[in-house]
Parts: sequence; C-alpha cells; structure tokens
Amino acid sequence: MVTATNKESRTTMGSIDAALKPRLRLRTRSEYAGWTLSILLGIGILTSVLTNPNFKWGVVAQYFTHESILRGLMLTIFLTVASMTLGTLLGLGLAIMRSSHVKPIAIAASIYITLFRGTPVLVQLIFWFNISALYPDLSIGIPFTDIGTKIDMNALMAPITAALVGLTLNEAAYMAEIIRGGFSSVSKGQIEAADSLGMSAGTRMRKVIIPQAMPSIIPATGNQVIGMFKGTSLVSVLGVAELLQSAQLIYARTYETIPLLLVASLWYLVMTLLLSYPQSKLEQKYSRTASRLPRKAKKVVLTEPEEGNLR
Amino acid sequence: MSTDGTILAQRIRKSFGPKTVLKDIDLEIASGEICCIIGPSGSGKSTVLRCINGLETVDSGVLKVNGEDFGYYETDTAYHALPPKKLAEQRTRVGMVFQSFNLFPNMTANENVMSGPVLVKGQDKKQAIKRAHELLASVGLAGFGDYYPAQLSGGQQQRVAIARSLAMDPEIMLFDEPTSALDPEKVGEVLAVMKDLAKKGMTMVVVTHEMGFAREVADSLIFMDDGYVIERGDAREVLSNPKEARTQAFLEQVL
Repeated sequence: MVTATNKESRTTMGSIDAALKPRLRLRTRSEYAGWTLSILLGIGILTSVLTNPNFKWGVVAQYFTHESILRGLMLTIFLTVASMTLGTLLGLGLAIMRSSHVKPIAIAASIYITLFRGTPVLVQLIFWFNISALYPDLSIGIPFTDIGTKIDMNALMAPITAALVGLTLNEAAYMAEIIRGGFSSVSKGQIEAADSLGMSAGTRMRKVIIPQAMPSIIPATGNQVIGMFKGTSLVSVLGVAELLQSAQLIYARTYETIPLLLVASLWYLVMTLLLSYPQSKLEQKYSRTASRLPRKAKKVVLTEPEEGNLR
Repeated sequence: MSTDGTILAQRIRKSFGPKTVLKDIDLEIASGEICCIIGPSGSGKSTVLRCINGLETVDSGVLKVNGEDFGYYETDTAYHALPPKKLAEQRTRVGMVFQSFNLFPNMTANENVMSGPVLVKGQDKKQAIKRAHELLASVGLAGFGDYYPAQLSGGQQQRVAIARSLAMDPEIMLFDEPTSALDPEKVGEVLAVMKDLAKKGMTMVVVTHEMGFAREVADSLIFMDDGYVIERGDAREVLSNPKEARTQAFLEQVL
C-alpha cells in the first residue's frame, strides 16, 4: 500500500520523494518590488556619494587624523567620561533622595529632576556659561562670618567648566530616573529579607538593591553614554574645542564645510560603535545571576552532594 | 542580654488605612514553644508574624519579643520608636522565613547564608563560610553552596532560606507559610527540616496550612479569623476537639 502511494506520487509529481521536498516560502510581488527599489536606491546614493566631487573624500581622508581633530576627539571623550561619571554619581544620590521617606528630601530631588529634564540642555549650557551675570562672585566660607574667600565667577566658569557643569547636572537628572527605575524593579520581598536579617540601610543598598537593579540600569545607561557622546557636540556653542568645534574651526578657514562635517560624523559613528561593545559585555555580566549556568568555582572546598545532583 | 525567646503581645491593633487587620490580639509564647497559627486568608495571621519581626509596626498594644519592647522604648506617656540601629539589632534575634523564599538572587547559596553574619555582624569570612557549610549540610544541602538560587528548586531554595535565618543564631524563628509556594512533592523536605529545628528547642511561630505538621509538631495552636484570635490552646486538643463554631467550620473544610 505504502509503496504504491510512494510510487504514485513519484510518478505524478516529479522525481523527488514527496516527503523530502523542501517547503518554499511565498514570495509576494511587493517583496520583489521592495528588493528592486532598495537596490536601486542604494546604487543611486552610492554613485552620488562616490562621484559627486563636492564630497571631497580626499580632504576627508586628509583631515581624518589631523592633529586638531584628534585633540577635539580627546576632549569629546573626556567630556563624555567626566560628565557621565559625575552625572551618574549625582544621579545615584538623587535617586536615593527621591525614594526617601522624608518628604522634603524626596520633593527636592523631584523638583531638581523636573527642572533639568524640562529645559533644553543647550539652554542650560548657555545659562551656566553666563552664570556670572547672575552671581558675579562665588563666596566659599562659613555663613555669617568673615572667614572664606571670594572667587570671580567669570574666571571660574571657563567654557570647559561650564560645559562640564551643564552636561553633568543635566545628565544627573536622567540618570536619577534610570537608577530609580532600577531600584523599583527590585521586589519588596528582597528588601524585607534584608531587613529581617537586620541589615542597615547602606548595606541593603550596596549588597542587595544595587546589584539587582543593575540589569535594568546598565542598558539604559549605555544608551545615555552614547547619547552623551553625541550630545557633547552642543558645547561647541560655548567655544569649547571639542570634536565638532575643531572641525568648524578648520572649515571656517578652508570653506571645506561638508568634508569636515563628514570627518566629525565618521568619528562620532566610530566611537558609538566602539561604545556598544563594552555595553553588551556589561549586560552579559549583570544578567549572569539570572542564567542557569554554574559560576566558575570560587576558592571554596566542596563536599560531596548528599542528594541528586542538579545537572 | 535577656535572651529568652519569648513573645508577649497584649491587645495589639493594626490597621491598613480604613481596614483593621489585627483587633486586640493577645499572644503568649514561651521559650522553646512551637506555635502554629492557622486561619483563612486575610485573617491577619501573616500580619502578626510581620509585626513580631518589625516588617510592620503595630498601631497600639504591648509587644515584647525576647523580653524587650520591640522596635520601641516605653516612657511614662508613650512608646518611642527606636533608632534603626537598635531595631536592626533586635531583628537579628528573630529569624524570618518567607512564603516566596526571598533569597538574594545575586548571591550563591553560601553567600546567602553568610550574608547575615558577614554583612550585619561583621564576622570573619572564613569562619562564616565554615558555618555556612555546616548549616547547608544540616538542611540537607551539602555541596550546593556554589549554586545560585535560580539553579535550585523551590524546596531547596526554602531550605537555603531557613539556613540563612539560622546563621544569625536567632532565639525565635518565624515561618510565614513556608510551604505554600512549593509543589506538593517538595513540601515534605521543608517540613522535615522544620521538624528537625523544633526538636532543638528553638521558639518557632509557624503560619501554615499544613494541619499534619501542626498536629505532629506544634505545642500550641492559634486559630485566627477576621483579625481576631478565635481559639487557642494545645495543638492536638484544638485540632481534634475545637470549641468554637468558627474553628469547627474551618477545620471541617481543610482536614
């Protein structure tokens, strides 16, 4: 019977055994149209980019590793690292304040976050740069005494300082929300378990809450770093010679605007791609506790398991 | 230090918003006593435990744990809340085992058991890990020290949680429905560990639906309903011969 049907299918529908025939996907007309359009568009853009002499790829290559561009890149990296680090620390403080049981503290943190998230970072940067118009002198000392010194705010708020202050304060507001979101992802039971063991609030935070909040904080922070890296281009308005400003300074002299913008863009792109690697590594590290893989043996002497092994 | 393992409650009241969950609760648990609290859901039995551990504060009434006013100190006119450090110290003497285990998922079984002694009492790590091995062995989990909670079954996790509480050498152990989140097959292994503990003379308060455990192990039994203690007495006596109609009705349903 079986051989009969096999034979039958073989004779009626080609030479391959019907059971072994590959199953093919349906290809619609719109799929072919999509392929054609995308390829045509790609070829069009590529030819235009490669043949249009105004791109001046030679100039791009010439300036790509130009000294002032590299110096600008270094400054951009410095601004990113510094303001991200300071912003994260300040954001952690704000997040802890915001989850405080003492109402005024929580409200103060929440007002800070509202103000700094609700205004454009460009405006904030210009504001800090011009803060001396508001407070000409900064006095450091003990209130209501003569002890202390006055510092000229204008001298203190050099462009780089203003950039650092502006970026840090703004970043802190965003990081505070990210960290607070991470905190609230830790279940109440964990906090109760820590409390019932008699842990202090500090220990509970460091050993229980923060390690568990990390998996949800890390990816968002990675996005912030990448955003911050590109966001530093805003400080060019203060005349800080970071990557974009360095490029601008050159094309103001040579009028090769597009090639130099390309140089800056390519560097931003390269750095962004480089940054996404450590981000994925960190994500893996902190999601490890959720995995079922046994951790590398620590220096602990194991005795024989008494009951059924897990693996 | 008056380490006596007693619990005394007089006319404890506790409300969550408009809902009063504990209405004039009286408790008297002697050192080394095994007390089971039974009752329907929402009767306030878990809240009693959480008050004894300080996870909830009582609104009014007297609550003495280990012979000391818990979480508060008494003056002529009022009870004043203790500073967090003092409260934490009192809590270290009361172990709590949760329905949902609440092991720290970022720590291995060893680290979980060591967390109390090392992070709270500042004990030496070498000593603590030795103790952790002993404790894990005593709950039948020797060799599981390097596993993370996610790699352990529910029953194993709950036994690690018991070991973690025991590591603090508490005078009192509280169990909040310790077997309710386990599949029936694993209930036995956790109950066995608890029976073991009971023999060692530690004060235990167990909120449970395991009537078999209550009958076999408990000294006293408290039946709660709607925020009241309906009936209390010798465990076997109450289970086999309940006096109150409400207790009879409940036991008929669960036995």
